[in-house]
This record gives sequence, structure tokens and C-alpha cells, in this order.
Amino acid sequence: MSSRTGEASFEPRSVAAEIPDRIVLKRHRDLSSLGFNRPARYAILVLLGLVLVLGLANVFGQHPQTVTARSAKADLELYAPDHLRGGLLYEARFTIRAHESLKHAVLQLAPGWTESQQMNTIAPSPLAQTSRNGSLLLTLGPVKRGEHYTLYIEFQVNPTNVGRRSTDVLLYDGNTQLLAVDRTITVFP
Amino acid sequence: MDIVLRGCVIFVFLYVLMRVIGRRELSSLEPFDLILLVVLGDAVQQGLTQDDYSLTGAILAIGTIAMLQLAVSFTNFKFPKLRSIIDGEPIVVVQDGKPIDKNLRRERVTLDDLAAAMRKQGIGSLDDVQWAVMETSGIISFLKKSDS
Repeated sequence: MSSRTGEASFEPRSVAAEIPDRIVLKRHRDLSSLGFNRPARYAILVLLGLVLVLGLANVFGQHPQTVTARSAKADLELYAPDHLRGGLLYEARFTIRAHESLKHAVLQLAPGWTESQQMNTIAPSPLAQTSRNGSLLLTLGPVKRGEHYTLYIEFQVNPTNVGRRSTDVLLYDGNTQLLAVDRTITVFP
Repeated sequence: MDIVLRGCVIFVFLYVLMRVIGRRELSSLEPFDLILLVVLGDAVQQGLTQDDYSLTGAILAIGTIAMLQLAVSFTNFKFPKLRSIIDGEPIVVVQDGKPIDKNLRRERVTLDDLAAAMRKQGIGSLDDVQWAVMETSGIISFLKKSDS
């Protein structure tokens, strides 16, 4: 017996005759079609749930982390997110703790800090800003022994700035490098 | 280039999402659904054009979505085998006055929902229904028994 669509049907003649056009009971009632593939549907939903869980786990940013580099003369603490998304506003906080007096503290920021990122505010203003081989040099001045100096920089990520960039930070006293923070940011679209 | 790429990603994401969440959500437009629709539109816009307020950006975004929609409908028309995946298929939810629980459960449609849909079409009792088919749009079509 065949339905009006020409596909096989095992319904009694009276029922088959009343089946609406283009409805095939095997497909549309018994759900044998590929369009009703439940595993595929669940797999996509699980994938979506996984993305949301990863979002909660800060994989896509922007919860800040603290990275600390230590030396005999000073410590440098950087508090900033390393996973970002296009358009985000965020703050980077640099704290220098001097174990010995620094006469001429200088921070060197790798190009990744300024490449396709807006630097909205920097406080307190450095004594001088210059460039060294593409890196940004911020002259902060003296930091007395036992004191700490905090520098705040507010950034915004350009929407087209996607990928990974080095955002290393080096601390100098004059021309002497004291310590370095190796760091990379990941920017999601 | 970015707007076109973002447009493609958002279109595919929304299309897949609409397919997997099920047609029950598509058919209802309660007050809360309307609010969700506005929130969704705002979230999509921000991801799509971000801080681009240009006419060029708007043309690129709208053009991308229009072309993708055209491509989907062309694929749907040209390749019938893909139709069930792209568009889904109607589901029989009532046969000869008897609700098909498995299919109702699949689409998360309760008997109350079914009764409400029947009332909208001027049908008071399931006994009068020969076939009820949930269409790909989420709307339930009812075919009455010939003697009712």
C-alpha cells in the first residue's frame, strides 16, 4: 500500500487515504527523517553549554589575574586580564614595591600593550614617555625603599585586534634591568 | 572584511540555535518573548557592527545577512534532501483524535498547549481532530474529521 506521496505506508487503507498531502507517516509521525536526528541536536546543545561553561571559567576573559616578578631590589605586581574580547574596557595596575631605593624607575611595555588598543587614561602621568625598539618606555621617577608605586592604565581593545600578543613588562632602574614579567594576552573576536 | 565575517558567524550561529532549540520556542510570542527578541537584537547588533556607525558598515551587515538567507532558501529549494536538515520537517502530533505523546514530548508541547492551539482554530475537542501537524514554523495545523 502506498500513501499519496508515493512512499510506503503500513496504515490501513482508510487511514492512508486521509493522510494530509506531503505528510509521510514514517517520516513525520515516526520521526525517521534525518531532520529529527536527536544525537546531533543534543551534541550541538552540549557544545553550546560547553562554550558557556568556558565563559564562566574565564576562558574568554576578562577577569584580571595577578602576576608577580621578584628581585632583590624590587617586586613588580601586575594586575590585569590576559584574556580579552574586542571592544572591552579594562584596567592594568602596575605596582612596584621597592626593597631598595630606585633612583629612576622605568617601566618598559611590550608593543602588545599599545598595538590596536586604546590607552584611555594613565595615572599618575609618567615623567616621560618614549619608545625603545617598538616598546613603550614610561619613566616613573624615584621610588623610596619600603614604599610602593602604583600606576593605573585604562585600555580599550579595538574590535579588529584579534589574536595573541606579547605584553611583557620590564622594570629598570635607570639603564639596569631589574626584572621582567613574561606575559601574553589573547583577544577574542 | 570584519563585518562580513562577523555577519556570517552570527547568521550561522543563530540559524543552528533556532534549529536546535525547537519549534515550540519559535511559535510563541508572549510578552517575555518580545522582550527577549529586543535583547537578542541588541546583543547581535553589538557583536555585528560594534562601534561602526557608518552607512557602509550597515550595508555590509544587512547585505551579508540577506545574501546568506537567500543562499539558505536557494539550497532549500534546489536540494530537497537537505531540506529536512535546514528547515526541519512537520511533525504529526495528533492522529485520529489521539495525541502522539512521543512527538509532543519531543517538542515540549503539553496537552494544555495543544488545547489552546485548538481553541484558536475554533476546535473544542480532540475527538474532532483527525490530524494535527506541528509545522516547521512551530504553528500547529488541525485537520478536522470529515464527519465533525
